[in-house]
Parts: sequence; C-alpha cells; structure tokens
Amino acid sequence: MRNRAGLWYSVTVRDRDGKVISWERRRAHSFLKQWNEFIWFFHFGGNIYPKIINGSPTKLDSHDNNFLMTGGEGDASLGIVIGTDDTPVAIDNYAMGAQIPEGFGAGQMHHLANTFGAPAVSPPVSGYSISRIIVNNSGGLITVRESGIYHQHSYRYGPVAYQFYFYSSCGVRDVFAVPQDVPDGGSITVNYTLQVTE
Amino acid sequence: MKQRMKVRERLSYEVVVRDKLGKVLERIVAPSRSYVSAWNQCLYVLNRHSSFTITDTGGTSHSISYSSSVLRANAGAGEIGYGIRIGKGTTPVTINDYALEAPCGEGTGPDQFLHQATSASSPAVAGPDCSFWLRRVMVNNIGSTISGIREIGCYVMMKYSPAYYGLGYHDVLPGPVSVPDGGSITVTYTLKVTV
Repeated sequence: MRNRAGLWYSVTVRDRDGKVISWERRRAHSFLKQWNEFIWFFHFGGNIYPKIINGSPTKLDSHDNNFLMTGGEGDASLGIVIGTDDTPVAIDNYAMGAQIPEGFGAGQMHHLANTFGAPAVSPPVSGYSISRIIVNNSGGLITVRESGIYHQHSYRYGPVAYQFYFYSSCGVRDVFAVPQDVPDGGSITVNYTLQVTE
Repeated sequence: MKQRMKVRERLSYEVVVRDKLGKVLERIVAPSRSYVSAWNQCLYVLNRHSSFTITDTGGTSHSISYSSSVLRANAGAGEIGYGIRIGKGTTPVTINDYALEAPCGEGTGPDQFLHQATSASSPAVAGPDCSFWLRRVMVNNIGSTISGIREIGCYVMMKYSPAYYGLGYHDVLPGPVSVPDGGSITVTYTLKVTV
C-alpha cells in the first residue's frame, strides 16, 4: 500500500531571537470536501456549490483565480491559516475551527506572504510546497492548535461575463499532534508539501 | 507510537469489458498506481498563480500558465486529446510519464476505438470520504477483436488555445484485456479524499 497523493505539513516555532523552540512534522490529516469539489470542477466544469468559509454553499464559476493560494502579507483569507481550535477534522469542515485573525492585538498574529517551492521530481516522488511565517506581536503567548489552507473561490453574479465575487474556501485542515505555544515576539512557520508518488 | 498510515487522496479504477450484447466479459477493480508529475505541476500552477514548464502528451515542454482550462477532462465523443484513454503499452508507470506508451486512436481502423464522451458523478460524502468518478466508454467497431489492451490513463487540458494536454494519471493493468468486435471497454476512475 503506497500513498499516491500525499500531503505533509511541518510546523516550526521560534522565539523572538529566532531560536527554534518547537517542531513537528507529520502526514497531513486531511484534504476536505471542498478540495475534491474543486478538482471535480476543474475536470468537468459543471454546477457545484462548495461551501465558502462562512459555511454558505456558493456556486463555483469558471475563473482563472480559482484555487489561488497566494495570500500576501497581512492577508489571512488566502493561503496557509492557523487557529486555536482542536476539534478533530471532519470531511465536511469548511473553515478553521477558530481562526487567528490578522493583526497585532490580543489573540491576533501577523501573516507574512505565502511562499512556494516549485515542483520538483525525485523519482518516485513529485512534490511542491507552500509555506508561511506568522508572527506573534500581540503582547502575549498564543497557543496554535490547527492549520489549514484557504483558496480562492470565484462566483459570477448576473449576466455580465466579468462581474465576479471572490470568496475563500477551505481545502485542507489539520489539528496538530501537540499544541504549539508561540511566545510574544516569536513566530510559527507552517509548511505544506503536496506530493504524488508513482 | 506507530502512526496510522492512511491514503488521503486516493485514486482507484475499474475496467469493464462487454460484448456486443452488453454482457460483461471481464471486470478489473484496483487501486490506481499513480498520479504523475504533470498532475502536481498543474496544481502548482493553479495554487501559485504562475507559469511552469510542463511536458505535454507529445513529449514537448511548454510554459503553462494558470487558467480555467487547466485540468479539464470533460472530453466529448471522438475527442482523444484529453479525457480517459486506453493503450497497449506494458512498461511500468513512472513519475515522469507524460503520455500513454501506445495509446489506441479514435476510429474504426486497426487498434482504434470510438471514444464516447467522458462522464462524471457529482462529489458525494460518505463517512470520512468525499469522492467522485469519471468514466469513458470506448467501443470497438473495427470488425475484429482488439487484444492486448494493457494501459489506461487520463489526459487533462493544460492550455485551451493553442491546445496542450498533459498526463494526469496512468496505470498498467495486471494483464492484457481483449475487446470483441461490437463490444466495449469502460474505464472508471474514482478520486477520493479521506480525513
């Protein structure tokens, strides 16, 4: 039994001086329902209504931005996101259990830009990665218990071809094996690697 | 502690051969051997919103950019640039495969099939799984049995115009399959994610 398309994540926590104080790497628990709905849509382009991150089923329309994960600095709506909830993952999860918002106030963290590692083939594996550093400047310790990936979801309204709303859908969610305490001034780096194996 | 190993994004296939009356002559069900590198490269293009050089089914490299056409597999009847394909190659699958080794063409000539439109189910949740299938029926009307069918796979669109296609997944069957004249071969792939 081999894993044909696997997702791995690693989490690295650093203190304010950059010293690594915690590290975890394991197989990601879950692609969610929305992931497969997007793959289906790319394959067939039919009518489908994946949930966006507020839980509303929302029609997915053809647009070049679908599946985009390139959230920039300060954007916690696309790419890797984190949260404080440790409810076990279910296939129909549609968002983080309790997402940590962007910011510098209590309970908030500052999201740096998502970065990507280009696809690389090393037989029998081909993989690519997405990473994000998220900094705690809230003034207190924040315990991170979950991570995931939000990607863009495009909905066209009305008869005009190029009038779109852009939402976020959650394709991946994981609950850490060990809660990660991020001290004030420190950071957490989350890396996901998506690989296929012959 | 021993970590439980589960396959998170699983691919499996079913191959059914029927005679001209629709009677099932052979059925093969197995886990798919593999997604290949172009699949992951297409996902990267979509996720990263960038271009990447990917080898097409003709063995030529192209710079592929993000678009709504990437990964499309809903080929119509007679369309063999993309969608599910079958062939006679026997070489084991590798991650660098970019096409079927010896794909069967469209038509009624030697080793050719009439490719029907690719169809699909809607994604459905059952317990911890969410899955859908895609399926294609290929009919043999050449006047004699086509034997030695040994490989299956799915070509996906990478660019609409000019049209470039890539190999998404590829499998070699455990043994050769023969399709009688007037009969058909149906290939169904199931894509599943599991928590």
